[in-house]
Amino acid sequence: MNEMKLLEIKDLNKSFDDKQILKDINLSISEGKIVGLLGKNGAGKTTLIKLINDLLTPTSGTVMIKGEKVGVESKKVISYLPERTYLNKQMKVSEVIDYFADFYDNFDIEKAKKLLIDLDLDINQKLSKMSKGMQEKVQLVLVMSRIADLYILDEPLGGVDPATRDYILDTILTNFNDGASVIISTHLISDIERILDEVIFIDKGKIILQSDADKLRNKEKLSIDEIFRRMFKC
Amino acid sequence: MLTKLLKYDLKYMIKNMSIFYILGIFFAITTRIFFSLEQSVIVNIIGQISVGCMFSILANILINTIMRSWIRFRDSIYKDEAYLTHTLPVTKNDIYNSKFFQTLIFFIVGFVIIILSLFIAYYTKERWLELRSLISSITTGLEFNTTLFIVSFIAIIFLEVFNAIQCGFLGIILGYRKSNNKIGFSVLFGFIAYLLSQSIVLLLVFIVGLFDSSIMNLFTNNILLDTKSLKILIVLAVIIYLGIILLMSLLCRRELNKGVDIE
Repeated sequence: MNEMKLLEIKDLNKSFDDKQILKDINLSISEGKIVGLLGKNGAGKTTLIKLINDLLTPTSGTVMIKGEKVGVESKKVISYLPERTYLNKQMKVSEVIDYFADFYDNFDIEKAKKLLIDLDLDINQKLSKMSKGMQEKVQLVLVMSRIADLYILDEPLGGVDPATRDYILDTILTNFNDGASVIISTHLISDIERILDEVIFIDKGKIILQSDADKLRNKEKLSIDEIFRRMFKC
Repeated sequence: MLTKLLKYDLKYMIKNMSIFYILGIFFAITTRIFFSLEQSVIVNIIGQISVGCMFSILANILINTIMRSWIRFRDSIYKDEAYLTHTLPVTKNDIYNSKFFQTLIFFIVGFVIIILSLFIAYYTKERWLELRSLISSITTGLEFNTTLFIVSFIAIIFLEVFNAIQCGFLGIILGYRKSNNKIGFSVLFGFIAYLLSQSIVLLLVFIVGLFDSSIMNLFTNNILLDTKSLKILIVLAVIIYLGIILLMSLLCRRELNKGVDIE
């Protein structure tokens, strides 16, 4: 009997006008995995993530979450961190927390408040008064305070200093719920290498490798970062 | 989920529109105060400034309600905020319906504020009686019930503007499908949708005119409508606009359900 995958993508294509961005993507992700979606800038990582999150419409192919097409049910179980700040800046952090609690049954308010304190963020501050980095931290708190089945984090380490990167990674690692999977898209591979169970290499809109991280390291006798650099050498 | 979406859409509009409502009523009160004071050159000048401010704010309420509705629609469905809107566990129909009702509610509120401000600024018993007498002379001449005349008149204006707002929504949905010059295409498609809706109104009136020679006079010469035909035309206009608004809203939902491409 076929085991139902958490995420299953079949023959997925995405084009904008005549330009094909993703070509025949096929992949599946099981429960309880931390997966690195790795590729150079412009390889198609964000496009793939946006298709999983219903922010883009596929040209052809299907995206299934727990056996269902992308829609209301999939959005209940996916917690997504985009690579940009997207919250209404007129709102206070406390209002955003209420907003998430209103819409997501699996949003843990107490956890969010605790994470805000840990990250030294003021719950009564307006988002418009916060720096971009602080807004990104608020978004991370919102995403990690949901008890989701799949966390999708698009470039969560982009534009932050190395010390904060470690802190963000620890926040991610210690806050996603048991049995859930995490997809992390990044080109900063050395920073996340230590936490990955699986890796997916994407280049020019095609998946060129999907493998267990340890098996790949053992087979190539190199770190994932080194393998990536070798494969994508300019 | 619709009520939750609507709650936040209404909050957004209240935050942005309440200042205009407060200023509109404030200048209505100052207008009344300065015109009730003993007249002097200075009092008169301040009174006139107050009138100018009041009317510009009231015009602003109408324009801002329309513009804010379009901007809110575009921002939360196609700009950065779309990353939140489209990842909420809600249907695309609910997203559209929320914007539809938000616009409808604020259009009514804006209309009430405009009437209230004018009432505050200018109400006197004599003026009220003059207005009633003017309306009743029109309605008597037309053999029309006064209340029905006012309600129909307001309803047609209201439906006409609301139709224009929905054409704007459809324009935005179609315009944002294009990969470049999205705003330009949104305006173009919105304009085309508006022209088409007006053409449908004219076409349906023309079809009715085929069975009513008096209504056909609208298309063939300058003869004014008789009372019976005017009544038919008013009722017809209300029904046609309601139908077009319903059709436009179904079209918007259908197009939105085809999916979005967020940059």
